[in-house]
Amino acid sequence: MTTPLLPAQSALRRRIIPWLLVAPAALWLFVFNVWPSLNTLVLAFTNAKPLSGGHFTGLDNFGRMLDDTQLVDALLNSIVFMAVCLPVLTFLPLLLAVLVEKKIPGITFFRTAFYTPVVASAVVVALIWSWLLSDRGVINGLAQEMGVLQGPLPFLTDRWLLVFSAITLTVWKGLGYYMIIYLSALGNVRRELHEAAAVDGAGPVRRFWSVTVPGVRNTMLLVSVLVAVSALRVFSELFVLSNGTGGPGGRAMSLVMLIQLYSRGFYGHFGYASALSILLFVITIGPMLLLARLSRKAA
Amino acid sequence: MRRYWTGLAVAAVMVVSGCGLGGADPQAAPASTAAATGEVKGTVTLQTWALKPKFTTYMEGVIGAFEKKYPGTKVEWIDQPPDAYSEKVLNQAASGTLPDVTNLPPDFARPLVMQDMLLDVAQVDPKLAEEYVAGGLDAYKFRGFSGTFGYPWYLNTDVNYWNSELMKKNGLDPAKPPATFDELVEQARIFKQKSGGKAYLMSRRPELGDLTQAGVKILSDDGKSFVFNTPEAAAVIDKYRAAYKEGLLPRDVLTDTYAGNAKLFNEGTVAWTTAGANHIIAVKTDNPSLAPKVVPSVAMGIPPLYVQGLSVSKKSKNPAAAIALARWVTSPENQAAFAHEVSVFPSTKASANDPFFTKSDGTNGGDAKVIAFKSLATAKVLQPFEVTEAMSKFIRQQIALALTGEVSSKEALDAAVAKCNELLNQ
Repeated sequence: MTTPLLPAQSALRRRIIPWLLVAPAALWLFVFNVWPSLNTLVLAFTNAKPLSGGHFTGLDNFGRMLDDTQLVDALLNSIVFMAVCLPVLTFLPLLLAVLVEKKIPGITFFRTAFYTPVVASAVVVALIWSWLLSDRGVINGLAQEMGVLQGPLPFLTDRWLLVFSAITLTVWKGLGYYMIIYLSALGNVRRELHEAAAVDGAGPVRRFWSVTVPGVRNTMLLVSVLVAVSALRVFSELFVLSNGTGGPGGRAMSLVMLIQLYSRGFYGHFGYASALSILLFVITIGPMLLLARLSRKAA
Repeated sequence: MRRYWTGLAVAAVMVVSGCGLGGADPQAAPASTAAATGEVKGTVTLQTWALKPKFTTYMEGVIGAFEKKYPGTKVEWIDQPPDAYSEKVLNQAASGTLPDVTNLPPDFARPLVMQDMLLDVAQVDPKLAEEYVAGGLDAYKFRGFSGTFGYPWYLNTDVNYWNSELMKKNGLDPAKPPATFDELVEQARIFKQKSGGKAYLMSRRPELGDLTQAGVKILSDDGKSFVFNTPEAAAVIDKYRAAYKEGLLPRDVLTDTYAGNAKLFNEGTVAWTTAGANHIIAVKTDNPSLAPKVVPSVAMGIPPLYVQGLSVSKKSKNPAAAIALARWVTSPENQAAFAHEVSVFPSTKASANDPFFTKSDGTNGGDAKVIAFKSLATAKVLQPFEVTEAMSKFIRQQIALALTGEVSSKEALDAAVAKCNELLNQ
């Protein structure tokens, strides 16, 4: 027979146990998220370097951004990246999900095939693509063999071709991931609505726009924010395709590549790199705010 | 509303933390160098860079002999993998856990010297200048700091390597490789005409070292500003720019890293590369059928000097043993034994007359070794150690931009100098 707890003991337990349960996750979050973020914020106002603490320099690092031509290029590249990836990776996976949702023999193969690039390492995939796209790569070789091109296209050495090659790679790699998200959302769209629309004479395109799209609207909002944030934070694709150089003049660098450049090595400029991180944060918060507003409207 | 802002704040923190950066405190005050002359006893740590597993037996032999020579000593050997070594050393320095003796090339040693973390070995070792070659010692003397902050270990330089088969196939004589840049361009033109642009002779972009070779001063005498944006420097880049425009170089040069031309050479795409004396070993691994067709020759202009050395931490708790160990590993006997295993060259004066380095065994690898050894007599460090990774990257980016013709060579150099000065003075 167990001794019943006194009311005071029971209340104490009720107060303490939830905190104990949450403590490991909270500790993890504080050490690996909150603390580095606060540290980044502090460092952004200093001239800190790896082996020296640095001094408070006020807004100098932010003022320095105004004269940084590399930052202008990186911002433009990141924005173009987002502007192209956002519509493509919001709609294309939805179309793909609608296609593979159908229960026909062999469809599992296509679902798996579309998802395979997601599980492949981004760096390995980018390396394979750099072989495909180089001057002596398969794509240029085939195009010249077929007489489509006279000489190789500079996919990896021209600024915009490099950026668009990286976008293509990102889209190819991301399709399967967002397709899976849409597949689960499509399962929640009521079948009767499709049937009713079909009875009313709506064709497949009309049913897609009038039934499917409204049915997965919240998922589309989520996907578009995920795509926007990851596009603004693009790194691996551009880094590997440009061999880490950012292309001639570094004009194909992304904002994260620029942060990486300044935060590396014995002479890393942690202060400036932190200020750039704050800038990246301010930019990426935009899509999140938009999602919050749209979600509230939808609700 | 409050919940919404809390959620947003958490999300924001997670976004920023992906790019979170940590600061570091400078290492604590150094120990006195007086203890460095005490009794050689106790435990000492030695850190090397990418010697395992190939040279494990050699290093264990050297360490075993040291422990035998100095009874009561114990060496703890740490070998770091080749990738991200600078980050590893940086973390050790920032956390105050730098090993007693560490393999540091001069560009890694300089930032530690700036933070007073390395021992001035010249102060505790008066025979330094008698035993080691001047070029090796000079690499561990840094502008603005008095002292020598490392024992030079092994040296290397660049040699030209030619793909004799590709040269013959494209109308060139591998027995008469170009000896100057102008000859190189001339032969590259013949090569291009014959190959129809499917293979190349040249595949490298100019670097700061090329400007030094042309007599351009890179850094001002006081070390406070970069000054390499001169008409002479622009003329060097203009030559490469003209060659690029003529199609004598592949487009890869625009985005290649420093080792890019060696990679293209090993693939059999280009017929010329510069690399260290042991490059044929890499060719044998990457492309075995190419290795026997490689012909080495003396590098054009002033050969670059590459130095590896052992530095002693100022925080070492056992400086006497650390100094003795660094001296032991870099002794003429141990360096010679190491150089017999791989094509690197000792930094000790006593090794200069070793016939092993002056007589080839008749193989192309042996020829490369002799050429490199002879070149060391005139080799120089071509890039100041003040040039950081970020500066190097920016300079390469600007030179690549000049090659494309988007900006003039002078504009590219002006931009590079402005950025380097900005980074130097921050």
